[in-house]
Amino acid sequence: MKPGGSVILSTLVLIGSAGVGVGGYGWSVAHVRRWSGRQDLNFVTCDHCHFVKLERMPWAQPRAHHPSPAGMAVSPDGRHLYIALDDVNQVVEADTATRAITRRLTIAGGPFGLALDSQGEHLFVACRDRDQVVSVSTREFTPVESLGVGTAPVALAFCQTKDGPRLVVANSMSDDASVLAVSPLREIARPETGREPYGVAVSADGKLAFVVSRLAWSPHFKTPSASELTLIYTPSGRVMKRASLASAHLSEAVASVPGRDWELAPLVKVRNLVPITQVANGWVMSSGLAVSDKLGRVVQVPLDEANDYFADPSGIAVDAAGRRAYVASGGSDSISVVDLDRLANWLAKADAPTKRAAARDLTLSAQYVIDRLPTARNPRQLAISPDGRTLFVAERLNDSVLEVDTAGLRPIGRIVLGDGGAADPIRRGERVFTQAGHTFQRQFSCRSCHPDGHVDGLAYDFDGNGIGDNFLDNRSLQGVAGTEPFKWNGLNPSLEVQCGVRFARVLMRTDPIPPADLKDLTTYLKHLPPPRWERKHNQPLTPAQARGRRLFFATQQPDGTPIPRARQCQTCHRPPLYTDRLMSSVGTQSPGNPHEMFDTPHLLGIGQTAPYLHDGRARTLEEIWTTYQTNDLHGVSSYWNKHQLNELVEFLKTL
Amino acid sequence: MKTKLLSEKWWMTLLTAAGLLSAVNVFADPPAANPSPASALPFPLIERFENYTEKDGLPAHKAHAVLKASDGRLWVGTYNGLLVRAQDGTYHRYGPEDGLSHKMVMCLVEDPQTGDIWAGTMRGLNRVSGGRITAYYQTDSGLPNNVVYGVGIREDVLWVATAAGAGALNLKTGSWKIYDHNNSIMHEPWCYSIACAKDVVYIGVWGGGIVEHDPKLGTFKEYRDPDGDFQYILVPDSGPINDITSWVAWDDGVLWQATYFGLARYDGARWRTWVAAKSPLASDFVNFVWSHRHVGWVGTDRGVSVTDGSTWVNYLVGEHGEGLMEIHRPNQPVEKRTMTTALPNSFVLGIYVDDDDVWFATSNGLSHGVFAPHSKPATVAEAR
Repeated sequence: MKPGGSVILSTLVLIGSAGVGVGGYGWSVAHVRRWSGRQDLNFVTCDHCHFVKLERMPWAQPRAHHPSPAGMAVSPDGRHLYIALDDVNQVVEADTATRAITRRLTIAGGPFGLALDSQGEHLFVACRDRDQVVSVSTREFTPVESLGVGTAPVALAFCQTKDGPRLVVANSMSDDASVLAVSPLREIARPETGREPYGVAVSADGKLAFVVSRLAWSPHFKTPSASELTLIYTPSGRVMKRASLASAHLSEAVASVPGRDWELAPLVKVRNLVPITQVANGWVMSSGLAVSDKLGRVVQVPLDEANDYFADPSGIAVDAAGRRAYVASGGSDSISVVDLDRLANWLAKADAPTKRAAARDLTLSAQYVIDRLPTARNPRQLAISPDGRTLFVAERLNDSVLEVDTAGLRPIGRIVLGDGGAADPIRRGERVFTQAGHTFQRQFSCRSCHPDGHVDGLAYDFDGNGIGDNFLDNRSLQGVAGTEPFKWNGLNPSLEVQCGVRFARVLMRTDPIPPADLKDLTTYLKHLPPPRWERKHNQPLTPAQARGRRLFFATQQPDGTPIPRARQCQTCHRPPLYTDRLMSSVGTQSPGNPHEMFDTPHLLGIGQTAPYLHDGRARTLEEIWTTYQTNDLHGVSSYWNKHQLNELVEFLKTL
Repeated sequence: MKTKLLSEKWWMTLLTAAGLLSAVNVFADPPAANPSPASALPFPLIERFENYTEKDGLPAHKAHAVLKASDGRLWVGTYNGLLVRAQDGTYHRYGPEDGLSHKMVMCLVEDPQTGDIWAGTMRGLNRVSGGRITAYYQTDSGLPNNVVYGVGIREDVLWVATAAGAGALNLKTGSWKIYDHNNSIMHEPWCYSIACAKDVVYIGVWGGGIVEHDPKLGTFKEYRDPDGDFQYILVPDSGPINDITSWVAWDDGVLWQATYFGLARYDGARWRTWVAAKSPLASDFVNFVWSHRHVGWVGTDRGVSVTDGSTWVNYLVGEHGEGLMEIHRPNQPVEKRTMTTALPNSFVLGIYVDDDDVWFATSNGLSHGVFAPHSKPATVAEAR
């Protein structure tokens, strides 16, 4: 070919390619506009709507499992420690003298919480993922009985009552407690508790159970929230008191104090109404201890110090003499030792206003916190030997249990359950996620707002416009993979950006998370499945749920009136992630929002993530349409009746 | 023809004689022998009324509902909030400022398992649990409608009668179901009351009689006034006395229907109906009925009637505010007594009865009916 010919050919190819490109671009834009019904959209990549399969999500892939210790129980003679290993579906028995595992029992369903009966003959296991309690004979170390309870039981406590023995079970996902008779297991009552009950203890006389809840609730997104301490009369299951833990959340355990009229519950004091950029001024989030009497009258005292915080208080144990309490700080890898005599002295002297203000005075903890014991990564649950000499610390992300001599307050050994999973990037990422060391003064970790990657049910003032009053609902990280961009304004294209430099500057007020840690962190986040994904996926729907599904996918009203494509639920909340990952206006802009467009959230696990809308103004799913719908912008709902709304909600809860 | 005339005369003579005899009987004094004593009645008699009004701390003159909880506390739904009286006599009022959805509380029920009190109001449903109130509205939950006339609990399901259908909240799953004219046999959605029976739920439908729903089978059965007439009872004892059901109550196999045109009872096999003109029922305008051990305690606009279907006792208010008791025994003359105390108002909106005492919610205060000494029926536990 002549040189001139090749030039001409190349030019023609370029022109042709350009033509194909321009034409393809034009076709794709037209395609997007046609199928979205929106003329404001231009080119978007195909994967907003196509090629997405849940089975291909990172969180749907097999992953490594680790023998992470969850609940623990010590035998009455102190010779054995029982440890729940939820991630590997096992309960193990360890010899406390030799620190060797003596027996293993496989129990499916994520065994998480443990409790022994008075004689230590039966071990009761709360299986979080199977919604049941299993009774295990400690002699044969075999299951002898099981009973279905509420959803996702995580903790339980045993007591003797005038009407016989009782088990009280905290059902974390159904927001209630199961009160069970024992031998045979039988549910007597299922009283409502606070949101996401996570810890339970019984009084020394067995009459009362105390249940603490992990999530807070507020009547309105701009009012202070409160979590709850629920008092239950154990013989009957009757609710005696629902005490508010004001401006507090993430209570994961509670303990009775022998010899005193007290229950102690660690908590996180959260000031979500304060602009979150005020982290540097302290106490946006701090750790505390709720001291409750038998009537549910609560005083909150701090556990932190003015310039040093001990984030994510989790487990608590009190010695048999009622003189010391030990509180695990999962975010700072330490145990706070509280001298209860000193605390009692302070409480006796303090007047009512001083007690009300106590949680704000971070200098106060010096009066009763007498030591901080270092641990390995992420201490969560605690147990103490009956003689009070040995404290057992579940080092959850180190796959070990630390034994501490309480007399000398020094470690005396470890029960090794696994290798800690350092080779697993997901495990390493979870360590970053739960590590408060990345934030200013170690005030909080990622987990402080996202327990287990989930929501804390609060809207935070992110101060995006510089003057505060810019509330943004906290969104779940479970099932977040593949739903980029992130943030309600959709400005962060990836988790790496979301959790990177900007996050450090705005929220953490420290150096950014190092790149290697950041990579592990995002790996962990991408492997967080939506809640109960395995149990919900491809399950048959009830007739009401099926009708709700038809409403969700409706393209026309019953009278045949077409629903504009842009206002069909399925257009923006496109399956299988139930998001098209684009910005949309649903008529919810408030004066604090610079624009009307918000990121379309995915709907996987939506039933568990209240409140809703970008600022958390909708307390329930129903309110999205009954109270905050504007001109049918958030789907055409004006033709729905109450039946249809209820059925739609039932369908959404299945996602 | 002659034979016929004689026959007519004969019959006229007989009728006249019978009329004279009955007239003698009507105007004669009561028999010399005393009627059977009160303790022989099939239900306890009220000895006196202890009344509570706004002066005594009631937040409103009007009380709509009253309930004694299993812990002994008394709950009163008033026009101005929910009142609870502890056993030591102290009062606490819950109002909208405490989270109550509306100040006008119309119905109450206790969850026997947890002790939670459910209160239906003119605007929303409330769960009072351990001193904390959770309000449910039609806008933030599956509640069919904000106007909640009746509440009931059966197993793990809370039932509500609302102005737009009956609702069923599964207390374990949090799921709601609505039953109305769209998806059930219900004639119209305006439901006034709920009565939870052993296996079924009875829904009192305004203008639609009674709907019986079997939750396990998902079936519905309708009980309607057989004559379909609002004013006249053309076919007595054959079904609900009227389609306008103001309340239903069930206990131990017996269903009672209150209407503004009389009272009806259904024992699962046979209906009985009563109107004031043909029975001792104090008034046809029946607001409420409470069923206890086969006895209906009936709140009307003219006081209270108590009956097991045969014996009746009415508690009325005299012209001068005095208490009037009428005891109607089968085949015996009416025994009338004047009481030293009376109901605070004859318009009775709510009743609570157990073996120990009775409480009345009226248009002008709350009343405690103290029983005359009577032998209590043994409970199952006591009988063992």
